[in-house]
Amino acid sequence: MLHSAAAAIRGEAGISGNLEIPMATQTAAQHELAELIVTSLNLESVQPAEIDPDAPLFGGDLGLDSIDALEIALAVSKRYGFQLKSDNPDNRTIFTSLRSLSDHVEQHRAAA
Amino acid sequence: MIELRIERWRAWAPDIQDDAGWAAWAASPMPLHENDSQPACELVPPMQRRRLSRLARIVMHTAWPLCDDGEQLPFVFASRHGETTRTYAMLDEIGRDAPLSPTQFGLSVHNAIAGQWSILRGQRGESVALAGEADTFEHAIVEAATLIGEGAKAVIVVVAEERPAPAYDGWIDDVPCSYAVALRVARADAPGAGTRWRLSLRGNTDCAAATGEPHALRFVRALHDGAPLDHPWKTRRWTWQPIP
Repeated sequence: MLHSAAAAIRGEAGISGNLEIPMATQTAAQHELAELIVTSLNLESVQPAEIDPDAPLFGGDLGLDSIDALEIALAVSKRYGFQLKSDNPDNRTIFTSLRSLSDHVEQHRAAA
Repeated sequence: MIELRIERWRAWAPDIQDDAGWAAWAASPMPLHENDSQPACELVPPMQRRRLSRLARIVMHTAWPLCDDGEQLPFVFASRHGETTRTYAMLDEIGRDAPLSPTQFGLSVHNAIAGQWSILRGQRGESVALAGEADTFEHAIVEAATLIGEGAKAVIVVVAEERPAPAYDGWIDDVPCSYAVALRVARADAPGAGTRWRLSLRGNTDCAAATGEPHALRFVRALHDGAPLDHPWKTRRWTWQPIP
């Protein structure tokens, strides 16, 4: 469902039902983060692999809200060992999509 | 003295799934067991269900069918121990100097489940969250009677407990298993379905130990066999009498 909705957002809906453009493949880091999001937010109706890396995390098809943003920040800080501050002016950019959040995590995660 | 009508009721325990199960339990009392199961709560959309604790799921599942979608009814949530699972998880985090989950924190307060009921059912009227002692059930009924006295045509009362973490053994001894009892309570003197009951309170001077079985579950048995109940607790003695 998320596949086709994301394709629709990208403007594919009007072409043909059979010409759905598949979403970008998740990288390993994105998939790991997607699993963390699904687990920490208890998203029982979502498979981690279904989250389109480029779809909006908030206000979009996924249906997440501001409490979820706080919960994701907490889960990321526990898993990856760095703080996602709620007053960071770049949060809107960082939390745009799975891709942007994963990029931020990969840049800042504590060395393994 | 309070007189009221139990229009409809529902109850939940881990190993009793339906009305027939409660009838069998009432006829030949058997101990109730915890098995960590929880209702599926398929009436609640997944994105809203994800924030319901086990206790909240038990409450929603039990009370939901007693209130029609088009009705606005006051809601009384009563639980002696409340969200012990959430609070215990947070105490563990505080003990480890770990940050608290905002969801756990926000939904650990005693009126959180009443708030979730209001949101999920579109209820805009009064709601009450009570925590009392072993007679929390009777206090919830007193609260419902006052709401009826102020003009409510019916009140949804839910008494619910979740079996707490083993760390509470020795402190909490009145939750043999997780359970919920939901009642739709109305005026006794208006026509309607269900059975009528009189609840009286007088002073208690007996030293007799209270029964170990939760009062709300004893009332479920009385709803089946129609027998009066005597519930002493400390200085209070509650009596339930069926009204013919």
